[in-house]
Amino acid sequence: MIKIENVTKTFGDFTAVDAVNLEIGKGEVFGFIGPNGAGKTTTIKMLATLSLPTEGTLSVGGFDIVRQPREVRRIIGYMPDSFGVYEDLLVWEYLDYFAALYQVEPSRRKGIINDVLELTDLTIKYNAQVMSLSRGMKQRLCLAKTLLHDPDVLLLDEPASGLDPHARIEIRELIRELCRMGKTILVSSHILTELADFCSSIGIIERGKMLAAGRIDEITAALSGNVVIEITVKGDPLAAIQVLEEREDITRATSDGRVVHAEFTGATDDVDQVLEYLINRGVRLTAFTPASADLEDIFLKITRGAVA
Amino acid sequence: MRFSNPILIKEMRSRMRGMRAFLVLTGYVTLLSIIVGLIYLVLSKNAPATLVNQAGIVLTPVLIYVQMGLICLIAPTFSASAVSFEREQQTFDLLIVSLAKPTTILFGKVGAALSYLLLTLFGSVPLISLTYSMGGVSMGDIAIAYLIMIVQGVTYCSFSFLWSTLIKRSVVSQLVSILTVIVLVAAMPALALFFTALSASFTGGPSSTFINVTFLLLRTNPFAAVASLIPGFPMPNNVWLRSVPIWLSQVVFYLLLMISSLYLSLRRLRNARNWV
Repeated sequence: MIKIENVTKTFGDFTAVDAVNLEIGKGEVFGFIGPNGAGKTTTIKMLATLSLPTEGTLSVGGFDIVRQPREVRRIIGYMPDSFGVYEDLLVWEYLDYFAALYQVEPSRRKGIINDVLELTDLTIKYNAQVMSLSRGMKQRLCLAKTLLHDPDVLLLDEPASGLDPHARIEIRELIRELCRMGKTILVSSHILTELADFCSSIGIIERGKMLAAGRIDEITAALSGNVVIEITVKGDPLAAIQVLEEREDITRATSDGRVVHAEFTGATDDVDQVLEYLINRGVRLTAFTPASADLEDIFLKITRGAVA
Repeated sequence: MRFSNPILIKEMRSRMRGMRAFLVLTGYVTLLSIIVGLIYLVLSKNAPATLVNQAGIVLTPVLIYVQMGLICLIAPTFSASAVSFEREQQTFDLLIVSLAKPTTILFGKVGAALSYLLLTLFGSVPLISLTYSMGGVSMGDIAIAYLIMIVQGVTYCSFSFLWSTLIKRSVVSQLVSILTVIVLVAAMPALALFFTALSASFTGGPSSTFINVTFLLLRTNPFAAVASLIPGFPMPNNVWLRSVPIWLSQVVFYLLLMISSLYLSLRRLRNARNWV
C-alpha cells in the first residue's frame, strides 16, 4: 500500500532522509519510531504529497506522489504533528468545510459528520465553537477531519503529542478502533510505549537513515539474542539457581528476592524445556515468564552509540 | 451548475460572525455621513448659492475619494494575510493535502476579501444617492467612479494575495502590500511631478516629453482617473493618448496588473509543494 524506494530528502547541505526503503502492506499498522529530528515528519510529509523527494520514489496505493498527487490525496488521511484549527468556526462547520474540500456530496455530509463525531466521541460538541475545545478534543477533531472522506491510508504524525495521559489513552483507543476497521496506518511517535500495543510492524529511523524495519516479532527475534526468563520460586532461590546452572543453555542466573533471572541461549520455542527441567528437579515455582525484548530494548539496541 | 466555493463560505462564516462585521459597516457609513454632513454645512454657510445648489459636484468626489482611501487600506489588510496567516496558524498543510484545487483556494480567498470590500462599497450607495440628488454630477460619472473603485479593490486584493503566497509572515506581507499601494497611488505621480518641476527649473518651463510622461503616469492612478471626470480637469492639447479617457486607461492598466497577479499567484499555489 505504501512503498518508499531509495528516498533521499535534503535541505541545502542537510540530509533529512537518507536513502530510505520501506514497504507497508494493506491493513498493516506501521509504527515509525525515532527521536526528534530523525526524519519521520519529513518522510510522512513526502507521503502526504506536501514535499517532494530529492531522490527516489514514493507511492501510496500504487499512485506516485510526484506525478499523481491528486490520486494520492484522495486515498490518504493526514494528521500533522502540529496543526492549527479555525478557532472561530463551530465544530460542525469545521468538519463541513473539510468535507466540502474533500468533495463529499452535500447530501451525504451531515451523516458523515455525525459518524466521525461519534467515532471520535465528540458528538456532544457538534455546535460548540472550536476555540472552546480542549487540546485533546482538538486532536480528536483533527482526526475526525482526517476520516471524513473515508481514506484507505492514514498518516498520523505524533497523534498524541502534547496530550495528558487520559487524552493519550483516548487517542490510542481511537487508533486501535481504526485498525479494526482495516485501515492501513502509518503512525509516528518518539514515545515507544505508545506504539507497542497496536503496531504490527515498525521502522526505526535515526538521522535520516532507516536502521531497521519489519514485523515486530521478526525484529525482536533477530535482535533480542538471549531470552531472559523470569522465574518466581516458592522455596529457596539459590537452590533454583543451582539447578538452572546445570544446564548448558543457561549462561547466567541471578536472584532478586524470590525472582530468579536466567539467560537462556536456546531457541525461543525451546523455553518450555527449562520449565519441564525445573519441575522434574523438584523446584517449586509460582511463575515462569520468558521475557522477550520490548520496543524500548530493541530501539536502544539498534541505536546504541548513535543516540546522542 | 451549482457554484460553491468552500473556502469562500468558510471565510464569510468567520468574518460575518458576531457583531464585529455589523459594527464595522455601521461605523464606516456613519463616518462617511459625518464627513459629507460637515462639508455640506461648511458649503451652505460659506459658498455662493450657485455652488450650494450644485453641492453634489463637491460632495460626490469627496465621498468617492474617502472610499478610495479606505480601499487602499482595507484591500491589502484583508487579502495580504490570506495564505501567510494559514501558514502561521499551521492550517495551510491541511488545505494543500485536501482535494482543493489552486483555483479554489485563489478565488475563495480573494473572493472573501473582495466580498467584504464590496459590501462596504455598496454600503455607501445610499449616501451617493443623496449627493447625486444635490445635482452637479451625472449618473454615468458615478457609475464610472464605482467601476474604478471596484477594479481598484480587486487589483489590490489580487497583488496582496500574491504577496501572501510569497511572504511567510502575514504582518510583513501586509506591510509590503500597503507599500505597493503607496508606490502605485502616491510615489509614481509624485515622481512624475518632481521631474516635471525639475525640467521646468532648467529650461524655464516643463518640456513636452516630461508633460507626456507625467500624464502617462497619471493614467495609472485611480485618484487621477476620478479627478479626470470632474469638469475643468486640465488636459493639455498635444499630450499623448489625448483621445483615450484617463479613467479607461487606468482601469485597463489595473486589470492587467490584476490578471498578472492572479496568474502568478496561481502558479505559486500550484508549486506549493516546493515551498520550504
